[in-house]
Amino acid sequence: MMRKDMTLTVNGSRHALAVEPHLSLLDLLREKLDLTGTKKGCNAGDCGACTVLLNGAPVNSCLILAVQADGQDITTIEGVAGEGELHPLQEAFIDHGAVQCGYCTPGVVLSAIALLRDTPQPTRSQIQEALSGNLCRCTGYFQIIDAIDAVARRQSEDSSRNLEKIP
Amino acid sequence: MSDLSIIGKGVHRVDARGKVTGHTRYASDMRLPGMHYGKIVFSSHPRARLLEIDCRAAESMPGVKKVITARDLPGSNRYGYGVAHRPVLVAVGEETRYVGDAVAMIVAESEELASLAASAVVVRYEVLAPLTSPREAMQAGAYRVHQEAEGNRCCQREFACGDVDAGFRNVDVVVEQTYVTPRQEQAFLETEAGVAYEDDAGVLHVMSCLQDPYGVAEDIHLALAIPKSLIHVKGTPVGGGFGGKLNTTIQVHLAAMACLAKVPVMLELDREESFDFHAKRHPVEIRLRLGAGRDGTIHALDGEVIADVGPYSGRSAEVVGLAMSALLGPYRIANVRTRADGIYTNNLDSGAFRGFGAPQAAIARECLLDKLARTLEMDPLQLRQKNFLRPGDRPASPMLGESPVSIELLTQRVLALLGPKPAAPENSTKRIGRSICFDMPVFDVGEIPVLGKAGVGAAVQVHSDGGVTVYAGGTELGQGIATVVAQVAAEQFGLPMEQIRVEMSDSWICPRAGRTSASRLTFGLGNAVLEATARLRETLLAQAAKLLEVAAEHLTFEDSRICLVGQPQKGLAFAEVAEVCSDRGGNLREEGWFRGTGDRYMYGHTFMAAAADVEVDIATGEMQILKLVNVLDMGKMLNPVMAYGQLYGGAIQAMGYGLMENMVTVDGRSKTPSFAQYMIPTAMDLPLQFVAEAVETPYPTGPFGAKGIGEAALNCTTPTLFNAIADALGVEVTEMPVGQEQILAAIHKQDVQ
Repeated sequence: MMRKDMTLTVNGSRHALAVEPHLSLLDLLREKLDLTGTKKGCNAGDCGACTVLLNGAPVNSCLILAVQADGQDITTIEGVAGEGELHPLQEAFIDHGAVQCGYCTPGVVLSAIALLRDTPQPTRSQIQEALSGNLCRCTGYFQIIDAIDAVARRQSEDSSRNLEKIP
Repeated sequence: MSDLSIIGKGVHRVDARGKVTGHTRYASDMRLPGMHYGKIVFSSHPRARLLEIDCRAAESMPGVKKVITARDLPGSNRYGYGVAHRPVLVAVGEETRYVGDAVAMIVAESEELASLAASAVVVRYEVLAPLTSPREAMQAGAYRVHQEAEGNRCCQREFACGDVDAGFRNVDVVVEQTYVTPRQEQAFLETEAGVAYEDDAGVLHVMSCLQDPYGVAEDIHLALAIPKSLIHVKGTPVGGGFGGKLNTTIQVHLAAMACLAKVPVMLELDREESFDFHAKRHPVEIRLRLGAGRDGTIHALDGEVIADVGPYSGRSAEVVGLAMSALLGPYRIANVRTRADGIYTNNLDSGAFRGFGAPQAAIARECLLDKLARTLEMDPLQLRQKNFLRPGDRPASPMLGESPVSIELLTQRVLALLGPKPAAPENSTKRIGRSICFDMPVFDVGEIPVLGKAGVGAAVQVHSDGGVTVYAGGTELGQGIATVVAQVAAEQFGLPMEQIRVEMSDSWICPRAGRTSASRLTFGLGNAVLEATARLRETLLAQAAKLLEVAAEHLTFEDSRICLVGQPQKGLAFAEVAEVCSDRGGNLREEGWFRGTGDRYMYGHTFMAAAADVEVDIATGEMQILKLVNVLDMGKMLNPVMAYGQLYGGAIQAMGYGLMENMVTVDGRSKTPSFAQYMIPTAMDLPLQFVAEAVETPYPTGPFGAKGIGEAALNCTTPTLFNAIADALGVEVTEMPVGQEQILAAIHKQDVQ
């Protein structure tokens, strides 16, 4: 089968690969790069378990061909914090009991990261909307929303504190 | 026990870090050297006779390692819980019983090649008419899904007390209704998956997402004639189960692939295969009749449950049995006659799903109670209160009866949390409805009839450096049992959580603990770990007493030390005592067993209340849940953050069950094979307000007073929503699930103003 040469940057590392033209970005991440934190829940764009950030925007990686990501920048759950560190959202998920089986968690965390970057102080209904593409069958979403809300509030407190410091 | 330091605290889950960082390896994330990929060829028809299977094209494809049909299998080719009558592969000459039956298997170098080869297997069928109606299946002369099952009866349960005919003769009012409940899909996000390989010593290792490693090992032995001592089943972190992974799923197929192809094999079902394959919540038809006096006292209950079991027995006998006994709920009714039949069909398979039959029963019972209240022109809460079990009462249905009756307390809490009923805006098409419902959820506390063996075991090892490993045979599905087990051990030894490691779900290294279902593990494993740690505490205390030259009864475990009660400075580090014990050959590994009562009463019980305020627009049929309230008697919350997580998650599953979920089949085939058609609640579908509260009435034999609460929230939330909608409209919506379309149809049909 014809393979196509491509490059992409994943979690800050540049990869040069030759891939089958029909390979999905999800399968590339999981099978070629062993980044198995990105989950396959339906392979049809319905569940959001495979959410990654493509140039910062959340996408279902099962719906994108790997070759479409040629030259682009990808962030997966493995890349949201430094080795041995946790992103504030990951910490909040642990604190608030937002994790049960954990299968939706990577995708949900990435959707939440994108939300807080674009909308640092979301309302609860904006949080709900941002999560609407990520199915979770365990939690009923409440503790997930609480966790995201808590991080947003803390960030807004921190930024107002920073403002106060400006002479 | 007010001085608990870890029990009752919302400590972090032991598995949370791996899950939020993506480092946790679920079954499909495992990679083995030389790993091949499996694919199952499923039957193209719900019912058909297999005339011929031609594998030549598939076998000749490059990269295909092995094509397997029934005649290649060693052993009986039969497995399954309940009755071991499920074929691994349907053989030529045999009939398929549903679309999840397998007819061939491929092992190939890649997933893609395996799929291509699977589609190249040519199967010739004689297509036969599927049997899809349980009522038709019960008729004399109906085709039998299993030859030996007369009337296609899989199971039957009956319960009676008092004199039901006399009871109905002496009442003022009789109400009766038949309820038909939808087929609910567990919709776990992780489909069935696993890897398997045979090692050099001939041991078969199967690593897979499951809920019962011991049952899986038994099934592999039954089907493939592999000696039990050569089968090692290891449960991987589970991406949701909810009962759907309680039966053996793909593990026997996976084992056969690895053994016959002689290579490590990965098998993962895709979403459509998964939806077709595993057993779901039984669709049931419940006919229920209640007889009451004018004062609201219920004197008689007569109920009949007919459940669509699908093709194989699985857990149906237990599920159907609970659907029957749960018809009584938390009420005292003197004269009862109930009966339940589980009937085989060629529809999708039915089995365990959170609640285990009780959610279906709660719908019928609580909706009919509201109908009785309307008939009597009585407040539905007052009607229920009139008939509540009273303190000291034992439930009439077979229960252990140890739970203090806390239902009046729940009523007070639910009313306080609900507050005043909101008013609809004036001159609008919006109507407001309210409902309060009750349930008596159960959890497994007794003898567990898993393949004839009972008991829940756990082993605890104290290492010479003071670290602790708990070997607990149950399975972490996301419910948090690994954390609970660690909390119990940490509490017992006065150690921080970081000192405890938990190994779970391994048929080789964990003492037998049976299945992870029926909300049984906090109770069973909690007690087993308490027993094992109690013995270790004695050993460590005796050693510390010698070293400190004091009597052991003056010593306690606190802050990683074994010290004099109230004088933490006078003592030794836990690790120091462990090291001395270890050096002197002391036994620092103990097993604990919770064996239950040994009688036929398998369940303990608790109490639950749910309430809802809803707003329905009679112009459009749109419905909004303004407020949902759940109050559950948890006995004692071992970890409140996780306990509330069970309440929240269960309530939203119940909401999905009531308002949107139905795995529709036509002629035995699913019409909702993806998440685009089978819709489950998203974050956008939540009630405007949800208040959950725990009441804690300690359960006498529970660890620290805890009860099993994993399933409870599901049971009465669904009928609460139905009754609130009926209250808003003034008429019942009888077609389930109750979506906008069904509400609008009821409004038009019954001319709601």
